[in-house]
Amino acid sequence: MIQAEGLVKHYGNVRAVEGVSFEVGRGEIVGFLGPNGAGKSTTMRMLTGYLHPDQGRVHIAGHEMASDGQKARASLGYLPESTPLYRDMRVDRYLQFVGELRGLNRAQRKDALERVFEATDLAGYTERKIGTLSKGYRQRVGLAQALISDPDVLILDEPTSGLDPAEIVRVRDRIVALAETKTILLSTHVLPEVEEVCRRVIILAGGRIVADGSLLELSAGREECLLVTFVAPEQEALAACADLPGVLNCSVSSRGLNGRLRLQLDVRERFDVAERLGALATDKAWPLLELRHDVPTLERVFLDYTRSGSQEEKP
Amino acid sequence: MSRTLAIFKRELLASFESPVAYVTIGLFVLVQAGLFFYMGYPIGPAPLPSLWAGGQASLTVLFTWLPLLLAFLVPALTMGTWSEERSTGTEELLLTHPVLIREVVLGKFLASWILVCLLVTLSIMPVAWTVSGLGDLDWATVWCGLGGAFLLGAGYVAVAQLVSALSSHQLLAFLLGAMVLGMLWVLRLLVEVLPVSLASLVDYACPSTHFLDSAARGVLDLRDAVYFALLVVFGLTLNALVVEARRWR
Repeated sequence: MIQAEGLVKHYGNVRAVEGVSFEVGRGEIVGFLGPNGAGKSTTMRMLTGYLHPDQGRVHIAGHEMASDGQKARASLGYLPESTPLYRDMRVDRYLQFVGELRGLNRAQRKDALERVFEATDLAGYTERKIGTLSKGYRQRVGLAQALISDPDVLILDEPTSGLDPAEIVRVRDRIVALAETKTILLSTHVLPEVEEVCRRVIILAGGRIVADGSLLELSAGREECLLVTFVAPEQEALAACADLPGVLNCSVSSRGLNGRLRLQLDVRERFDVAERLGALATDKAWPLLELRHDVPTLERVFLDYTRSGSQEEKP
Repeated sequence: MSRTLAIFKRELLASFESPVAYVTIGLFVLVQAGLFFYMGYPIGPAPLPSLWAGGQASLTVLFTWLPLLLAFLVPALTMGTWSEERSTGTEELLLTHPVLIREVVLGKFLASWILVCLLVTLSIMPVAWTVSGLGDLDWATVWCGLGGAFLLGAGYVAVAQLVSALSSHQLLAFLLGAMVLGMLWVLRLLVEVLPVSLASLVDYACPSTHFLDSAARGVLDLRDAVYFALLVVFGLTLNALVVEARRWR
């Protein structure tokens, strides 16, 4: 539904986006991640037709943006970063206006307004001026305008930035509900958001894609973390664990009552290491209380990838 | 067309939701009436007396002031058309809807033009009624002058809207717009001192020439309508190109 082929965008001498290609299939919900200045917003602006790429092509729902822009734009709903809306307008009039721009007739607009008011919980606020609404409600209006013509594709640039925690949860829930029927590309630098909402993640750094895959795929092959808790003398246990093949690093995570010791081990091939840990505990007669795999957080994956991405940038 | 109409309605509504339109219109009506009744037109080689001093039932003074006053008022009304969209970021959302840039440009133009026509009508008609009560006013000249003022307004709006598209801030758009339109007005005063061949060319290029020498005097001239139509087409085409070019920046 969303196809980006070799997108390049330079602002003067600044290389904002440097050859970005990816595809998002029907019904997928993809997180678009990257540090500030990675080129996320620029890429999204090219995907939505606001900026023309210096090189490369964009297809939305099979329509090419450069040659068939109107149809391509009609197939997508866009929520730009910082939600720019006409602050002097009433919510309902603004959404009517967007409906007219999107070619809905009077009856369709009426239905569409009712639908988006319900979907975004805006009932009761429809006659308010947009400028008098809180940031959270303005964000709902932003989402409502993106949904008004019920497009197949949604492109949301930082939809939860600047919202309070309760509102973030609400927006996130709404996005998850939308994902059942729509193709969604969602940019954010709030990592838990991606973990909860997206099945696939694209990480951008320095204007390039440095990773693209499911969270599991992205964390595979990387260092993993084991947490082991036994009753053992600290120095001896540390030394013994650090000597085990496959252990890269070993440190004390916490110390409990009655000599309980929790160690954190950065490892490769965690099953092999787990087996060796079990054998070690048996040999030394250290009662093994717990052994578990600490799933790498997206934060860690993200930091790994963006660090290596920005290193590649340097000559 | 329906999208142009949507833009038109939104822009017009927005004009009346901010106090700028009311203040501008009110100020304009008062200033015009004051100038007409008490001051006359003292600028240039052929000054005109005020109504009370001259005692003629004619609106010539009113029409003669229009090109200069509109040079400031039109930019005041159009300064936000593009610059505000840009500074608040709403342009991004607007242009990612399935609209064509020319539809947006035209819708914005029509809204500002209607507003200017309203402003001109409100400033001329009450004065015309007053004068017709005092003496024998030639209504044909009034209608002709009003029509000419609408055309002049269209030309000014096209220029000021183009300037707004080139500016990133409202204030800058106003100052630049007033400067450009003001300079076009001043050019006509320079005609006296320029060599003859250049003078006629400069005179022809001035929007005010195509109003003051014909419609304002009650003379209908199709060539003036063509001039303003070309000015509008030129201004709006450049406007669309400027907005389009920014997407390539």
